[in-house]
Parts: sequence; C-alpha cells; structure tokens
Amino acid sequence: MEYFISLAVLVGIYITLSSSFNLIIGFGGLVSIAHPIFFALGAYTTGLLAIHFQTHPMLAVLAGGGVAFLSSMMLSLPSLRISGDYLMITSIGFQLGLLEVIKHLSVTGGASGLGNIPNIVEGSSRSTLFALVSCAVAAVVVLAIRWLLNGPYGRVIAAMRDDELAFAALGRNAMMIKLSLFAIGSGFAGIAGGIYAYYYQYISPDQFEILQSAMLLTMVVVGGMGSQLGPVVGTILLLLLPQAIGFLNLPPSVMAPLQGVIYTSLVLVFLFWRPQGLIAPGQRQSAKEA
Amino acid sequence: MSALISLKDVCKSFGGIVVADHISIDIQRGEILGLIGPNGAGKTSLFNLISGVYPADSGSISVSGQSLDGLNLHQRARLGVARTWQHMRLFASMSVLDNMLVAPRDYPGEKISNILFRPKQTAAANRAMHERGMGILKRMNLQAIADSSVNDITFGQQKLVGLARALMNDGECLLLDEPMAGVEGNAYETMKSIVREEAASGRAVCVVEHNVSFIKDLCNTAVFMASGKILERGSVDSLLASQTLADLYFGA
Amino acid sequence: MIDISILLQIVWTGFAASTYAILFAVAFSLVVKVVKVWNFAQAGMMALSFYVMYAAHNKFGIALLPSVGIGLVATIAANVFMDRYGLQILRNRNSPSLTFFIFTLVVSEFLAYLLAMIFGTEPVALKPNIMSGVNIVHGIVISNWDIEAVCVTFTLLIALYIFMTRTQDGQFMAAVSDNPELSRLYGINVTRSYVITFAMTGVLITAGMYLFGTRASIIPNTPLQMMLFAVIATLLGGMGKIFNSAVAAVGLSLIQGLSIFVIPSQWQGLILYVFLFITILFFPQGVSLQKFKQLISLPKKQSAAH
Repeated sequence: MEYFISLAVLVGIYITLSSSFNLIIGFGGLVSIAHPIFFALGAYTTGLLAIHFQTHPMLAVLAGGGVAFLSSMMLSLPSLRISGDYLMITSIGFQLGLLEVIKHLSVTGGASGLGNIPNIVEGSSRSTLFALVSCAVAAVVVLAIRWLLNGPYGRVIAAMRDDELAFAALGRNAMMIKLSLFAIGSGFAGIAGGIYAYYYQYISPDQFEILQSAMLLTMVVVGGMGSQLGPVVGTILLLLLPQAIGFLNLPPSVMAPLQGVIYTSLVLVFLFWRPQGLIAPGQRQSAKEA
Repeated sequence: MSALISLKDVCKSFGGIVVADHISIDIQRGEILGLIGPNGAGKTSLFNLISGVYPADSGSISVSGQSLDGLNLHQRARLGVARTWQHMRLFASMSVLDNMLVAPRDYPGEKISNILFRPKQTAAANRAMHERGMGILKRMNLQAIADSSVNDITFGQQKLVGLARALMNDGECLLLDEPMAGVEGNAYETMKSIVREEAASGRAVCVVEHNVSFIKDLCNTAVFMASGKILERGSVDSLLASQTLADLYFGA
Repeated sequence: MIDISILLQIVWTGFAASTYAILFAVAFSLVVKVVKVWNFAQAGMMALSFYVMYAAHNKFGIALLPSVGIGLVATIAANVFMDRYGLQILRNRNSPSLTFFIFTLVVSEFLAYLLAMIFGTEPVALKPNIMSGVNIVHGIVISNWDIEAVCVTFTLLIALYIFMTRTQDGQFMAAVSDNPELSRLYGINVTRSYVITFAMTGVLITAGMYLFGTRASIIPNTPLQMMLFAVIATLLGGMGKIFNSAVAAVGLSLIQGLSIFVIPSQWQGLILYVFLFITILFFPQGVSLQKFKQLISLPKKQSAAH
C-alpha cells in the first residue's frame, strides 16, 4: 500500500513535468530538451532554501518555480533571437552545462548530491499527504494549461503555429509568446522539482541527466503531443511500466537500462506508427466569448 | 497634404538580382494605387519591403511621417501597416471568426493580467472585438461562415476572409497582394466595394494586381514596375494605352 | 614563467587528442551539410561502433584490425538503415523538425540503453593496455598512438576531400547539399547521395571510435557527451563547411587543453559550454574572417551610412 502511495507522489510530479513539457514542445512547437534541468533548478533551489534558511515549504517550492521561470529566459532569449533550430542546440548545451556546474559546486553538494533536506511532514501519513499535494498540484497545472489554451491565448498560439509570418504581419510578437510559453512550462517544472526535493529529501545531479528527457519525451509523444490529456495518459502508462516488468525479476543493473530501452522503443514505434499519440489533439472549438 | 506612405530611394537586391532599384513613391490618404507589371518586376518585393518582411539595403520608408527603418515585421504592423498575401496565409486550424479575432493589434482577453485584475472590462472588450469582427464579416456578407473552418469555405470566400483579417488591424495602410486572383462574381463585387469604402475612410491603399479590369475599376492611378524600377506613374488608362509598357508586359 | 616545453607538450597532446574529435565533427558536419539534418543519432552510432569492435575483439577474440572491419560494416549498415527506414519516412511525411530531432535523439538514447543492458556500465576500452610506446622528440613526448591518430585522421580527411571534389558522387553530394529539389530535377539520385553520406559518416565514426577506444575507456553514455563537441565545431565552422569544422575542432581542443593555464582543472569541462553560448550569441553563422571584420568595424560602418 505504501508502495502505491509513493508511486502516486511520482505520478503527480511527472504529470506536472510532462504536461508542462508538452506546453513547450507540443503547443509552442519549441524544440528543447532542457526540461530536466529546470526540474533540477527547482529541486536545488527548494532544497537549499530549506536547508540553509528554513524557508516555509510553500515559499521554497514557489521560489523553485520562480528560479526555473526566470532562468529559462537565459536560454530562450538568446537562442530564439537567432532561430528555433538554435534553441534545439543550446538547450542541449544548457542542460549538460548547468548540470556540470552543479556537479562542481560545493554549495550544491557537488556530484554526490544534496542531502539532509529537512522533513516537513512528520508521522505515518507523510506519504499520503505528499501524494495528495503532488496530485493536487498536477491537477492545478493541467487545469491551468487547459484554461490558458482554451481561451484567446490558445488561439494566438495556434495561429503562431499555423503561419508565423502571417501572424507577425498582423502585429503580433511571436517571440514574446514563445518566451512566455517556455517560461511558464519551465516554471511548472521547477515547482515539480520543489515537491520532489521535499519528498525524497535527497537530490543528486544524475537524477536530472539528459536521459530523463527520454522518459519525458516518451510520456509526451506516446500520450499525444499537442493534446491536453495526452501527457497525463502517457505519464500514468509509463510509470506503471516498471511494475509491469518488475515481475520478470531481473537484476537491477539490467532493469534500469531495460526500462530505458522500452521507453525509447515506444517513442520510435509511436513516431512511425501513430505520430499523433494515444490521445490525438481535439479540433479547436470556435470562439465562444464570455 | 503629406503622403501617408512615403518611399525614398529604396534599394534592395538578393545576390545579384535587383528587386528594388531606387524606388521613390508616395501614396496619399484615400488613394487607391495600382501596382502593375510583368512577373518578377518586384511588386510583391515592394510590399515585403514596406511591411518589413526584409529590410531595404538603402533608402527610407515612412508611414504617416514616422520612419519604419529598423523596425521589423510585427512592429510595422503595430504602426498600422496591414497587408494581405498572394497565397492568403489563413490560419488553417481555425474558424473564420477565430482568424479575425487573432488579427487585431491588441486583444485584451489575451493578457493574463487583464483577465485576473480587470475581468469585467476585459470581457466587455472581448465582446466588442467579437462584434467588430462580425461587423466586418457582415459587410462582406460572410456572417454565415463565421464558425466554419477556413478549409471548408470557397476560394473566393477565403480571399475575402484574408482581406477581412487585414482590416481588423485597423491600420492606415492597406497593401493588397493580388486580392482578386481567381475571384469572380459576388466575391469580386464585394471586394471592390470594401476596398473603395476603406480608401474613402482615409486609408492609403496599394493594390498589386494582374486583373486589369479590377485595376481599371478601382484604382485612381497606377504605377508600372519592371525589373525593380518604377517606369511610369499615371492614370490607369494612359498606362494601359502605352505601347512600350504593353511590350514589356506581354512580350520581349 | 610558462615552460616552453610544457606548452609545446600541451599543444601537441591537445592536437593529437583532437584527431578523433575532428573525425566526429566532420561526420556530423557532413550530415548537416548534405542531408540537412542535425543527426543526434550519431552518438548512438558511435556507441554501437565501439561496442561491436569491443565485442569482436575482446569477447570473441578476433584480432584488432578485423574487429574494426566488423565494426565498420555494422556502423555503416546501421546508419544506412536509419536513413532508409527512419529519416526517409519522416521526409516523405514532411515532418516538422521537432520530429526529426526527437527521432535522432531517441535513436541515440535507445542504443545507449540497449548497449548498457548488454554490456553493463563499467568503463571498457578496446585495448586492455592503453599505454602505447612513446618517443621523445626534442623533449616532447610523442606516443605511438599520437602518430597513428594523426596519420589515420589526415589520410581520411584527404580521402574525403578528394572524394568530394574529384568524384562524380562527391560532386552530386555537393549539388544535393545546395539544392535537393533542383538536383532531383537534373536527374541526380538524391537518395543515393544520402546513402553515401551516411556510409562515409560510418567510416569516420568507426575510425574515430577506434582511436578513442585505444586510448581511453568509455561507457555507453560517453558518446552523448562527446556529441556536444561535434555540434559546436560544426556551428563554429559554419553550416556546410565541413573542413572548417575540422579546423574548429582542432581549435576547440587546443583551447580546452591550454585552458589549464588559466582555470582550475575542475572547471575545464565547462569551457565547451561557454564556447557554445559565445558561438550562438556572436557567431551563429559560423566564424569567418569577413564576419570578424564586420564585428570590429561596426561603428565605422554605421557612421558612414549617415
């Protein structure tokens, strides 16, 4: 039972991560692989605030989100000024580079990680509380994205995706929209990181490696890029996967890469067989003004 | 009266190809200027230079006395330069009305701060924008297709929607790139009367067209372009009567 | 204060170490140029290449050179397969660049995971003893590996140059890289050019992994980290200029090596990332003498226009 509750915590965190990633690549059309690093920035910010300043947990998590939000512009601004293709490359550099920095800074605990993050919930129902919070945050994020996309802003995003030149010729600043989407998505990832830090009380750089992106990509591609519920479905499916192969009783050194093989194979299969994913994006509803 | 759109000595070339060769031209308020010439004369390039798709190599362009130099595409649109495209470029995933509602320079309902802190005014402003969009569609008799996907309407209707979308910008300059190509019957008449109304309300309109009767019907004056140069400017009749221009257009 | 012999040593060692980096950079750059794809799958192919050679040589006891041959065949086959059954389908569908990106990245990740499953994550090298014989020339240590690396690399680069400029296929590739549509209209078999490109990439990759694997040990993840170097070198060299990216690779490698004089060793790994950002910000079209002059003379140019 405890096992399923801690799985629920992870499900909530990953739904937040995959939905926000989908906002960036599925809806914004921005090619970026740097989502794990914003997850990391949120986690480390929250962890450090908790350890050194005993900040109130909610503030610490929001600060994590804020740091991720702001630092995303360090990546998106210079890259998008050139072109979207450059964001692709710089996001790889940003992801790998910042992780290198974290590995070498003593304040973040270096390569061995940051431990001793204070426990903010005592008692036997700790996991349950975390599960509720994590899933509640996930629900809020999914609903927030839904609200954003179903309103006039969603229309603007769709127009930008349809024809950016015509869009700009109408007086719209496509750059601002891309920066905003990137920042909002990264901010949500940062918040997920804060929850992650408080739950596990220990974070290390190798938890945020670029191979994490394989998992996120799988969730988004398999779930359905460009649909709102797709990432939710993809996340649940993929987090249940290890349970499914757990019964094979393989040694852990094979289990971990096997999971990776399955994730990546799924992406490849879906890319070619069903590119729209499990949940295809619905048709846009006509403008229904309030 | 100072010109609404003013180009002075504008030059642009790509590699070795000169698309604009020392172009100087003024377009007044209320004027409907036709831009004619053979393919490759640089007519669409001129629109691209004015609207800001690419910057000029030299020379200056100004609108209502304000220089456009150094401003990019969306900045110029915000100053009131509205245009249509040869290939329409409608937003394919949306309905007709949605295409219109994305078009105004500012839509209050898109700003989160507006929605959160001024919900009533924002809702009212959204409604007003909605009505404005429907108003333009009504002028074109297109209100019935407001909720149809742009992929489901006729070619003529698509062209009208392209024009309608440009009108949402409410800009003082209207650049129409081959608005009539492939359009006939009612759509043709509608477009003609709309363009006349817009010019009459004080906009400067410039039209690139191959449809000679449209130019004759609509334009006060016209300009003949070839090889990036403005060869002649005058009344449409005199231009069309000129033999040298006819040769350039059709032969040689 | 800096001992000249230490300087020369670092320069030489950096130069020799750049050889495999050159090969990877040129391979990446070649695909960008002709196929117009940012081929992140190269990392996976690099890993595949190495582990096939490793399996043949260290597990099946086959001699080194034939093992390299087997690795070569496997890599070329994998590359061509990926193009024919992966990229071509995406091309036919007119997929957006996001899809190409996801595909190539996931191919690399898939191969990395697969190899980790089969071979584990302990670092392994091609030769059990990676120290080769050394020669001391004018006080500089030049190992046999250094000599082999430089020879292999130069031979391959010269062969590549001759192929690109003197053979018909090479010239077709240049045409395709300029304008694939036009080339098709002129009767050039564009698909064949792509296949040849990926085959050549396979050669460069295998050679590079052979050199790297006889000098250091790797884990399945290593090539993914090495890819960044190839990407930056390609950017610096300028899109479509494969030999420029070779020069950029040498430059980057030397700067990395010489940076030991100015920054603590633990931060050396970051040099690359700093370079990436400098490149993006100031040299997005690649470094060229012209652009450099432009940047320097900018103020004068502005005043002249008025």
